[in-house]
Amino acid sequence: MSAWYDAHLILVQATFISFLVALSIQFPMRMGVFSFAGVANYALGAYTAAIVVVRSDEIVSPVVSVGAGVLVAVVVSLILALIVRRLRGLYLAMATISVSLIVQVIAFNGGELTGGASGMFGVISDLTIGSVIVVCVVAAGILTWTERGTLGRRIDAVRDDPELAVSMGINVNRYRLVAFVGSGVFGSLAGGLEVLLRSTISPVNVGFSLVVTALTIIIVGGYRSWVGAAIGAVIVTWLPFYLQAMERYQQVIYGLFVVVAAIFVPGGLLGIADQARRRLVRRQLEHEDQEAAAEQDAGGAAVVDAVGASRKEEAR
Amino acid sequence: MLEIDELHVSYGKVRAVRGVSLAARPGRVTLVLGANGAGKTTTLRAVMGLQSVDSGRVRVDGTDITGKDTHKVVRAGVSLVPEGRRVFAPLTVEENLLLGGYSTSATDRADTLQKVYGMFPILSDRRDGAAGLLSGGEQQMLAFGRALMSRSKYVLMDEPSMGLAPSVVQTVLMTAREIADSGIGVLMVEQNAEAGLQVADEVVAISQGEVGFTGDVAAARADRAILRAFLGESALSN
Repeated sequence: MSAWYDAHLILVQATFISFLVALSIQFPMRMGVFSFAGVANYALGAYTAAIVVVRSDEIVSPVVSVGAGVLVAVVVSLILALIVRRLRGLYLAMATISVSLIVQVIAFNGGELTGGASGMFGVISDLTIGSVIVVCVVAAGILTWTERGTLGRRIDAVRDDPELAVSMGINVNRYRLVAFVGSGVFGSLAGGLEVLLRSTISPVNVGFSLVVTALTIIIVGGYRSWVGAAIGAVIVTWLPFYLQAMERYQQVIYGLFVVVAAIFVPGGLLGIADQARRRLVRRQLEHEDQEAAAEQDAGGAAVVDAVGASRKEEAR
Repeated sequence: MLEIDELHVSYGKVRAVRGVSLAARPGRVTLVLGANGAGKTTTLRAVMGLQSVDSGRVRVDGTDITGKDTHKVVRAGVSLVPEGRRVFAPLTVEENLLLGGYSTSATDRADTLQKVYGMFPILSDRRDGAAGLLSGGEQQMLAFGRALMSRSKYVLMDEPSMGLAPSVVQTVLMTAREIADSGIGVLMVEQNAEAGLQVADEVVAISQGEVGFTGDVAAARADRAILRAFLGESALSN
């Protein structure tokens, strides 16, 4: 176990970080907010944590450095939410991708503060993978709560028909604000934790490719629940590793896999699991119906027998 | 009383509603007639705060709600049954109704739910079924019930008969009548003028964003212009 773990440490780390990055886009998407600001939040979280650690003379607790990143990202997310509050759909997607690219440009041109194109090094901390797992488990717990019962249905309503939802008295704008803040928290956690684990960050890590990775995770896994993001994170992180045996066909097979998932599995792997579960329940119900019908038939036969018997009596 | 006073609404340069004034009263059905594009739906949307208002006032029992956020309009006692019903298809009937009671307390919600089930037994029978599997008429009942869940004093209905089988139209409009009879003020936009007139108390006719006629049903039936515009030439002969 330990040998396997040592050999795959980077992939294990990447799985949990990708999960958080995917959440930063999946969470707003579940509320109908097509925001890719999650990647900007990742950059803000990573750079803020890195700057706090590198600039301070003493050893900084991960709680402080990552916390600072989360704070910055949440403030920026709130401001962003106000600026783009009238945008929807594709326009919102474009605007938020632009924000992510702007943050990348700032990282490139930040001079000494961000280390320019070469980025920042020596972001040393005592953060362990255990803490990252704890963060992910807590996030999953909170999200489970938002996906169930009354709150879950309200979020579904806000996504499926915002105008109808607001006509029923639901404050849709507040949910949208929560979507942006949630994206800020998840994105900056991913960035802050990753920079502490890897000890470096550079502008190429926070570019458009991260948007693509996050989207792929959500499409492959399924966007309706955090479970989809978890499934997607595992596949997107580990599949390329196992495809290495294919050598030069690796990229082709990976690409095909994503295309097939997008076309034939619109709900992601999570959607397939849901369908299978529903089919099972339906079959069970049908089975019960048949049993009930059979019982009725048996009862009917008994009545016929009794009637037949009484007729015989009469005939005598 | 729900009062709309000199309402003006425009989409860019197009002035869709120009000085519309009308009112809905508790226990009464106010029928809004008008051709496509006359500004009926726009008026309802402006009342709900779904559309911004250029000028004019909307008051609920004396309280000004003009330009308020939609969720606050609902809290002030006005709810909307939108055109085309728009139920949440994957959710159950009961879940749809509970969403409608979003702005009320949990005890009120349970209480109102029982009342709604009393009024619409069909919804009670199908409470655990998916709303998307209901027939058009049943979905309209669900949309009515959902609006009632907010304990509104005034319910705006946008084309409740649209897309329904002719045999169901009568039932649905009679239900609107029953809702008014329970003490709620109903403001109903309806293209099916003849069916609408059968359940209405007052009639407002809008054309090109302006009110052309206001009066009770008897006066509307006596008005030749109304008859010609909404009931066809044949209605004039008798």
